[in-house]
Amino acid sequence: MNWTWFHRLASPPHVYTLAARLTPWFAWPAALCIAAGLWGGLVLAPPDYQQGDGFRIIYVHAPSAWMSLMVYVTMASAAAIGLIWRMKVAHAVAASCAPIGASFTFAALVTGALWGQPMWGTYWEWDPRLTSELVLLFLYLGYIGLRAGIEDPQRADRASAVLAVVGVVNVPIIHYSVTWWNSLHQAPSVMRLGKPQMPAAMLVPLLLMLLGFTLLFIALLLTRLRGEVLARERAASWIREVVRT
Amino acid sequence: MRAFFDMGGYAAFVWPAYGVTLAVVLLNILSARRALERSRAEARRRLQMQGEAS
Repeated sequence: MNWTWFHRLASPPHVYTLAARLTPWFAWPAALCIAAGLWGGLVLAPPDYQQGDGFRIIYVHAPSAWMSLMVYVTMASAAAIGLIWRMKVAHAVAASCAPIGASFTFAALVTGALWGQPMWGTYWEWDPRLTSELVLLFLYLGYIGLRAGIEDPQRADRASAVLAVVGVVNVPIIHYSVTWWNSLHQAPSVMRLGKPQMPAAMLVPLLLMLLGFTLLFIALLLTRLRGEVLARERAASWIREVVRT
Repeated sequence: MRAFFDMGGYAAFVWPAYGVTLAVVLLNILSARRALERSRAEARRRLQMQGEAS
């Protein structure tokens, strides 16, 4: 097997220019998917037979919750690669993930609270799913705080990477919390084995939103990654090429 | 149209949920671009200082 592509991913100038070229290819499809998903979710999908129009919160809540977990897994994987192969670019990927993940975890918690009040009669409950998602927010904030607190960039990369990798145990806990314990939160209706439990008119907009948010994450990550890579390369001559304007 | 904004009586929950998510999306776009711009400006400044020193 040819590993050149992998080695090129460790080269900051290659990553910088590749990220710049790829960004619009993710950003515009993301905008299209989200616009179509919003139209489908708010206008075309029929009201739920139990929750009426209140169920439409799913189109912002589920994608935000999905982001909170997917971004964390990406961050922890990049951090592990950075630790194992001492790859600077991988640490830059992990550092770029944190603010994105933290903000969508916040969105998942707030939209969840706004859905919980009319349906369960409470904004918040110390429930397994809700509590583990809150722990996820603290993991992100701890990661960001730890990085900010360590002056030496290489030590900051390594210490924060260890935190990210250890924290990944929380991801399966969040995912299975609704099956392992008694939870107010419903069980998965899309991310499950077998057929999703939703008619197509409700499901398609949700899948569009999930896809749109995922593409948006990639575009955001590529943009932040360029900044992180630039900040890590102090004297390299390639920087002269890319910041000339 | 009125019915759409009323969201079957759930307007007070549905619209804030969409508003918060939209705000998070927009802030992410703005702050990612700002972070990149900051790094580029910083890199330019470093290059300039190196240029003056040599």
